Amino acid sequence: MPNFEKIEYKPISVRELLLEMKNLSELMIDLAYSAALFNDKELAEEVLELEKRVDTLAYLLDMVVMVAARDAKDAEALVGVSTVASATDKISDAAADIAAIVTQNIGVHPIVSEIFERLLKRLIKVKVNKTSALVGKRISELKLAPRMGIDIIAIFRNKDWKINPEENEQISAEDVLIARGTPSGLKEFKELCEGRKETLED
Amino acid sequence: MPRKRKLRFEEIVERFAELKDTSELMIDLAYSSLLLNNKELAEEVQRLEEYVDKLHTEFELLVLSSGFKKEEAKGFLGLIRLGVVAEKIADAAAEIAEVVLRGIEPHLVLKLTIEEAEETIIYTPVAENSPLLNKTLREARIPEETGMWVLAIKREGKCIRPKPDLKIQVGDVLIASGYAEGTEDLKKLAAPQFPSMI
Repeated sequence: MPNFEKIEYKPISVRELLLEMKNLSELMIDLAYSAALFNDKELAEEVLELEKRVDTLAYLLDMVVMVAARDAKDAEALVGVSTVASATDKISDAAADIAAIVTQNIGVHPIVSEIFERLLKRLIKVKVNKTSALVGKRISELKLAPRMGIDIIAIFRNKDWKINPEENEQISAEDVLIARGTPSGLKEFKELCEGRKETLED
Repeated sequence: MPRKRKLRFEEIVERFAELKDTSELMIDLAYSSLLLNNKELAEEVQRLEEYVDKLHTEFELLVLSSGFKKEEAKGFLGLIRLGVVAEKIADAAAEIAEVVLRGIEPHLVLKLTIEEAEETIIYTPVAENSPLLNKTLREARIPEETGMWVLAIKREGKCIRPKPDLKIQVGDVLIASGYAEGTEDLKKLAAPQFPSMI
C-alpha cells in the first residue's frame, strides 16, 4: 500500500498551485522520457515521487477553488481553472506511466533507444569532463536559456539525482546532466560539457 | 540485425517520434488558445487530437505486425505503452483547449500562470523593420537565435501552422513558446525599434 499524504486545506493562491502543477507536469514528461530513453531507474523513481506531489497539489487546488466560488458567476469563471488543473494532473499521470515502464523492468527495446536518441533532438544526457569550461560554474552564470535556448533539468551526482537544480547550483566534474531545449543549443552544450568547446559565446 | 528488420524499427520509432512531438505541440497550442482566448487555435488542437488517434492506431498496428521474437515481447510492450502515454497527453491537451471552445472566458489566473511558467508562451507582432521580414521560417532561425519555437502565426485574422518555407510578413503575429528568458529576444527581433511598446 502506498503512503498517501494527509490533505488539509491550506490558504495558498490558485495561481501558485496551478503554476507549480503546470511546471511540474511539463518537467515530468521530459524527465520520464529521459528515464525511458536512458533506461534509468533512479530517475524514473524521481518522476513517481513528483507525481505524488502533483496529486497533492491537485487536492489543494480543488479545495481552494471550492472556497473561492461564492455564486454561480464565480463557479462559471472558475470551472476553466479546475479543468486545466485536472489536465496538468493527467499529464503528470502520463509521465508516471512512462516512468513505470522503467521501474517495472519492462523497458523499451534497446534498438528503439538507439533510434530514439537520434530522433529525440530536444533532450540529451551528457557527462561533464574535468577539462570542461563549465566545472565550478553556477547554473545562473551560464545563462543557458538566453544563450542556447536550453535548460538543465536534472543532475546525477554521488549516485543521486537532483531534479530541477537551483540556479546557484555549481557544476562539478563527473556530473551527469540532462538538458532539454533547441537541437543546436544542445549540441553546443554537449561540446562544452565534454571540453571540446572552451568558451561560452553570446 | 538484418537490414530489413532495422528499417522496420526505424519506421516504428519514427512514427512514435511523430506521436510524441505532436502531443507535446498540442499542449503548447492548447495553452496558447487559452492565453489568447482563441477558438481557432483550440480547434486546431481538436483536429490534432483526431490526427493523433489515427497515428496511434497506425503505430500500434505497425508494432504488432513487426514479427518480433518471444524474448523481445517486453521491449515491444514498452513501446506500445509509450504510444498510449502520448495519446493520453494529447487528450489532456484537447481538454485544455475545450475550455475555450465551451465559451468559458479564461480566468485571469490562467493567463497569469501561462505567462509566469518556466516554459511560457508569447505573441508578438512583426514590424516593418524586422530582420525577420520576407524570410522563410527556415531562414529566420528563430529557435537558434532566441530559443523560442513558433507554434502558430496569426495572419489577417487567421491562425496558420508554421511550415519551414512559410514567409514572414508585416503584421504577422508570432505565437511562440520557450523559456521566459527568450521572450525579450524574440520581441526585439520581431519589432526592433519599439521594444518597450509591446
